[in-house]
Amino acid sequence: MNILIVEDEALLALELESELENAGHTIVGVAMSSQEAKAIIDRAHPEFAFVDIHLLDGPTGIDVGRHLESKDISYVFVSGNLKRIPEDFAGAIGAIEKPYTMNGLENALSFIETFVRGENRGNIPPSLVPSPWLRQRQMTESRQQPQSQS
Amino acid sequence: MNSEENSKQNAREAGDRLLAEHVSEDPFAAAFKATRMPMLITDPRQPDNPIIFSNKAFSQLTGYSQDELVGRNCRLLQGPESDQRAITQLREAIAAERSLEVDILNYRKDGSTFWNALFMSPVRNSEGEVIYFFASQLDFTHVKDKQKELAAARSSAEQEVARRTKDLRDALDAKTLLVHEVDHRVKNNLLTIASILKLQARTSADTTVQKTLRSVLDRVEALSTVQRKLFTTADVERFDVSDFARDLITDMIGALRRDDIKVHFDLSPVLVPAIKASPLALIINELVGDAVRRGLKDSGGAIDICIRRLNGHFQIRVKDTMPPVDVEVDSEAEAFSRTILETCARQVNAKIERHQHHHDTIVDIRLPVGSVEESRKA
Repeated sequence: MNILIVEDEALLALELESELENAGHTIVGVAMSSQEAKAIIDRAHPEFAFVDIHLLDGPTGIDVGRHLESKDISYVFVSGNLKRIPEDFAGAIGAIEKPYTMNGLENALSFIETFVRGENRGNIPPSLVPSPWLRQRQMTESRQQPQSQS
Repeated sequence: MNSEENSKQNAREAGDRLLAEHVSEDPFAAAFKATRMPMLITDPRQPDNPIIFSNKAFSQLTGYSQDELVGRNCRLLQGPESDQRAITQLREAIAAERSLEVDILNYRKDGSTFWNALFMSPVRNSEGEVIYFFASQLDFTHVKDKQKELAAARSSAEQEVARRTKDLRDALDAKTLLVHEVDHRVKNNLLTIASILKLQARTSADTTVQKTLRSVLDRVEALSTVQRKLFTTADVERFDVSDFARDLITDMIGALRRDDIKVHFDLSPVLVPAIKASPLALIINELVGDAVRRGLKDSGGAIDICIRRLNGHFQIRVKDTMPPVDVEVDSEAEAFSRTILETCARQVNAKIERHQHHHDTIVDIRLPVGSVEESRKA
């Protein structure tokens, strides 16, 4: 996948970048502010994004999220304070809470990969807090396919 | 003789007639004249119900001589600040010929005011007709002043309470903000520490260095998971060990990417003081990590985690079942893990018991609930 990272902590961004590249993805950009993020979104058309809420220009990650939503790009929030996320998750499929673990990130990533490919999804890992609509969808699916949830 | 003089004359004559009914040594008349209670009598059968008699105490209170009062209506005591509702009450009581008690602000001859607790009642003859109104006055200005002082004192006390409540609320808001800020920084620092460890492990070509850094990262991440679980519930002082264990173990086993590991949870919510969270988290991390290292990651198997209260104890039991597998055991890593486990157990006053049956390994951790609750009070 072509992925955008929106994160104002340079070391966290760098590590996430290597982690994603190791998993076979391409990073189309790392943005530290909302303007930067929007510019990369409009220019590079990522397929997915990781979005921190607090950026260099304030708590503007939500704006970036709305912009991604308007372009139909799937993304997750990555934040230490999930209470800041609006109730509808601004179109995000979920949130990864900081400080995430390597295992947690890997599990969240493999769920995200299958989600973006539109394949049959497995269980949501505990490291990914699902948005209300994703949770709703999972519940409906698990009711339709009870045998796959054993 | 003009009409004003005429009516005054009539009022005086009525007063004289009233007195004439009582002989000079009449004890009632003497009492009326001499009492310290200001009193007066009016005649409702004359136009405008004039005063026909007043005593010395009344003159002392109001500053009007008896001669100035006789023939006048009582409204001469009223002034601009007198309460219109009290005046209306008075007028209605007179018209209805009934008695009345009312507090009213009255004016002296010199224009100064006094609070008058007025009592007024009709006096009837044997036919039941009202022939006089009797009124007594009580100056309670000092009581009224006290009431004002009290009201002012209460109002200033209320203002003070409101001010202090606001100060406290502001302080609490500032404290909450600070806790969130500190929590945010701790989370960011933990993730930065983890990122540095991962980055270096990635850039190092030496497998021993990689292994060592991964080993440190593993413990740092257990603490990160604790920090993530703190402050998320309404009760910021407590930590649910079971909730933590479920997330940590699901992530740890999930990341092994093996379909042949069966995880079974038997978890009851166990809330411990936040201060115990880190050692308990590391204990669980070491127990499960040990099972993973002994062969779960290589050959699969089953792992059972039970966390509950049992006979006044708090129990963590980790049981793993693995087929015999030839895993090269890193004795140094194993000893290090054992040290962390035992040290954390000592910190929370826990006992460790290890059993081995065929392919099963069971580790039981027990700590008295009392020690958990005692430390909560501290």
